[in-house]
Amino acid sequence: MTTLDTSAKPFSLTKFVPGDFKSDLKPIWCPGCGDFGVVTAITRALANIARPPHEIAFVSGIGCSSRIPGYTTAYGFNTVHGRSLPIAQGIKLANPELLVLVASGDGDGFSIGGGHVAHAVRRNIDITYIVMDNQIYGLTKGQLSPTSSRGRKTVTSSFGSLEDPVNPLLYVMGYGASFVAQGTPADMNGLAKIIEEGIRFPGFAFINVQSPCVTYGMEDQQLKAHKTNMKSLEAMGHDASDRAKATELARAYGTELYTGVLYRNPNPPTTYGQGVTERQEAFKKSAVPRHEILNRFKPTN
Amino acid sequence: MSEDLIIGIAGSGGDGVISAGESLLTAAALEGYHCVMTKSFGSQIRGGEASCRLRLATQPVLNPNGPLDVAVALNWDDFKRFGAELPVEAATIVIYESNTGVAADKLPLPGVKPAVVFSVPITAMAAEHAGTDKAKNIVIAGLIAGWFGIGRESVVAGIRKKFAKKGAEVVEGNVRAFQAGLDFATANPLPQDRKLSTPQSGGQAKLLTDGNDMCAAAAIFAGCTFFGGYPITPSTEIMQFLDREIWKYGGTVLQAEDEIAGIGAVVGASFAGKKAMTATSGPGMSLKTEILGLASLAELPLVCVNVQRGGPSTGMPTKAEQSDLFQAAFSAHGDCLRPVLAPTCVADIFEVTVEAFNLAEYYQTPVIVLSDQEIAQRKETVDPIDTSKFQIIERRHPSGPELTNYARFKLTESGISPISHPGMVGGNYLCAGIEHNEQGRPTASGEMHARMNEKRFNKFNPLKNRRDLFTVEGDSDAPIGMVSWGSVAGVAREALRLAQAEGLQVKLLVPRLLYPVAETVYQDFFASVQRGLFIEQSYQAQLYRIVRMNVDLPTQVKAFAKSGSNPILPSEVLKRLREMVVSIQGNQQHQPEAVQD
Ligand SMILES: Cc1ncc(C[n+]2csc(CCOP(=O)(O)OP(=O)(O)O)c2C)c(N)n1
Ligand code: SF4
Ligand SMILES: [Mg+2]
Repeated sequence: MTTLDTSAKPFSLTKFVPGDFKSDLKPIWCPGCGDFGVVTAITRALANIARPPHEIAFVSGIGCSSRIPGYTTAYGFNTVHGRSLPIAQGIKLANPELLVLVASGDGDGFSIGGGHVAHAVRRNIDITYIVMDNQIYGLTKGQLSPTSSRGRKTVTSSFGSLEDPVNPLLYVMGYGASFVAQGTPADMNGLAKIIEEGIRFPGFAFINVQSPCVTYGMEDQQLKAHKTNMKSLEAMGHDASDRAKATELARAYGTELYTGVLYRNPNPPTTYGQGVTERQEAFKKSAVPRHEILNRFKPTN
Repeated sequence: MSEDLIIGIAGSGGDGVISAGESLLTAAALEGYHCVMTKSFGSQIRGGEASCRLRLATQPVLNPNGPLDVAVALNWDDFKRFGAELPVEAATIVIYESNTGVAADKLPLPGVKPAVVFSVPITAMAAEHAGTDKAKNIVIAGLIAGWFGIGRESVVAGIRKKFAKKGAEVVEGNVRAFQAGLDFATANPLPQDRKLSTPQSGGQAKLLTDGNDMCAAAAIFAGCTFFGGYPITPSTEIMQFLDREIWKYGGTVLQAEDEIAGIGAVVGASFAGKKAMTATSGPGMSLKTEILGLASLAELPLVCVNVQRGGPSTGMPTKAEQSDLFQAAFSAHGDCLRPVLAPTCVADIFEVTVEAFNLAEYYQTPVIVLSDQEIAQRKETVDPIDTSKFQIIERRHPSGPELTNYARFKLTESGISPISHPGMVGGNYLCAGIEHNEQGRPTASGEMHARMNEKRFNKFNPLKNRRDLFTVEGDSDAPIGMVSWGSVAGVAREALRLAQAEGLQVKLLVPRLLYPVAETVYQDFFASVQRGLFIEQSYQAQLYRIVRMNVDLPTQVKAFAKSGSNPILPSEVLKRLREMVVSIQGNQQHQPEAVQD
């Protein structure tokens, strides 16, 4: 039996190839699923980042997309539906040295786990949040998702959805995210590049990946359609430091497929983790030895 | 002289009732008395009525409840709102504010005529001597110090310290107010001397704290460096204490967006290799359920404290109840076992919390500590604790050879598999909520699922033999046995003391490990028992039912249970014990003589 570890490779190596981050676990995905491209893009980004797999924690929730950590050689944590963000934040705060990645789906990330997104954004903990947005519940076989368009017919909306979708890009922009990007496996180079940039960004980074579900997805959401529809922000000459413009472009979610970095805060704000480290350093001096902690309770009048 | 005094003080929010209690409590702790103080408030956030109960004694105080020896009322409307929490009897010494205009023989206490009643111009004395009626609390402390002999020096020392910044005039004014209280007591002596005798411990100062702060301090002692949680009464002080302290130890407190995120972050920190804890109460505990299951399946250590309050739903947020045991033991989908511990008093919270961390790390499991509102929020003297006698257990990491072809969930004989964490070279694995094989890979194999279940259950077998997590008190072969846990164990202990003083043959089992049920401990305990009683603060008597599920108890073992906020009194328990003695005697008389052969 083989294992997920990469100890076969000496860790003194400073150069990595994408294969170093690919496990030998066989994906359960349907052939042609967009998520294949996403895991490839992630391993390509990680090879460029060049942190050894054991220094990476890769967290996810539940869904087809959330299977991703197991297909990498990182320390994976495939948690419960919707809760990957709080768990990832705990990991990063407990060990700031780690590179922490989070993978999620549109349902995992914006329905059941939607409440956590705002707090992850405003806390600005240095993690990278990759949502595979296929506008459908894949794992549970094709139900309506929070990013499915109004009127969409699925097995739980037989007569068409009666609600407007969430706009993930606008959502995180609204809470003040400092790094917001969108990609599709239809443009593998572009996708790997924004993932790498997101990881390198010092703070919370959000990447929405339009990752087609070939089994339950709409036709206009497949790779073929992406290839013709996608518009590269770079080619458009978009200035990613322009927050107002980025917000405007974000509004086009659902009608336009922009790819690349929508917004990158030119002055990244202090991260939560930096605040924690500073406080720990400052308070260290005033610690009494742990075994003397009960002296706190000596009465004084 | 007195060995044991229960004092109840009530007034409106601004009357300084709590600070009067606190200065007496601190004085008593410094003088080496055993003391417990509970506070109670009306439902308003600020203002409203406030009361405190102090029990001061020369020997350990087991339980704060019981009829008042002394009642202090700043106004009768507020006093009466506390009803059964401040029970006045004919023998209670009543002290009340004269400006209430109530005549000493016309107290608004239907059905009771206390023999000793003092109408004292408390507000007027404060205004006269300290120049402000804010000093009412000081006058009360002076009165109590005068009549009952505690705190003469230390209350004055406290006044000098507390008001030092406000200048000599304020200090002296408050000292005069205290003296006025003392003088009033001297001028109006009690019919009988009720001063407290010297404490048994010979006046050695004690520690003074409440259960929540003690729990947090124990976590720091045990090496906890991560806390994630969400505020909820009556658990929040645990997070507040850690927020003041944990950074010094390289730790972090995360006030999460809800209880799910709180325990989520804790699971994450534990996965990252740190000792981590969360604390909550009723509704918050319900939200944590799913992630507790994840921690059980992924075998991640964590401590989850549930400071029980009345339920279900919002229930009674400020009242203790022991009604979350079923939830602690059973609220998981799938076959799942997690240890549940309960402390019995403030001092015990230290030991139980340290034990919880040790069990969590050793068995790689979530551990639930079932505290309750009463011990969490009551202030209590604690004899100095020798921390050097505690062992601190760390999780077992894989050694060098174990890291070649590392199998995170290796099926070992003990069921405990060495655990790695991110950052550890060669320890990489997939941690998941999905069933896994030894390597951590997802599996749908029924056989593997069965083996992993077996591992996750069998690893706890040694826990059931931890007799040190149980105490048996009283006559070891008594025919009458009581079982009680949590804060109510103190009531049972006091009842045992009373029963023994009457010569009754009774014993008491106090489990600190509630789940898994240690069958043999109960079997041994009940071997000599003909009549038994589980004493619990819940409608259902949840421990009684859980033990019955697991152990064949004698049929004459019953439960004495009350819903939260209905104090169980030692005298009531004693009454039942007496009835049990009579019933055993009756039975013996009616038994046909044994056949000789
Ligand atoms: C608490 C809970 N509710 C429901 C589910 C069932 N469930 C698993 S994945 C999923 C939706 C997945 O959709 P999405 O997050 O978009 O991921 P995808 O499969 O499309 O990648 C649901 C409803 C669950 N596992 N846990
Ligand atoms: S159901 Fe859709 S999302 Fe899931 S694996 Fe198949 S194609 Fe991918
Ligand atoms: Mg989806």
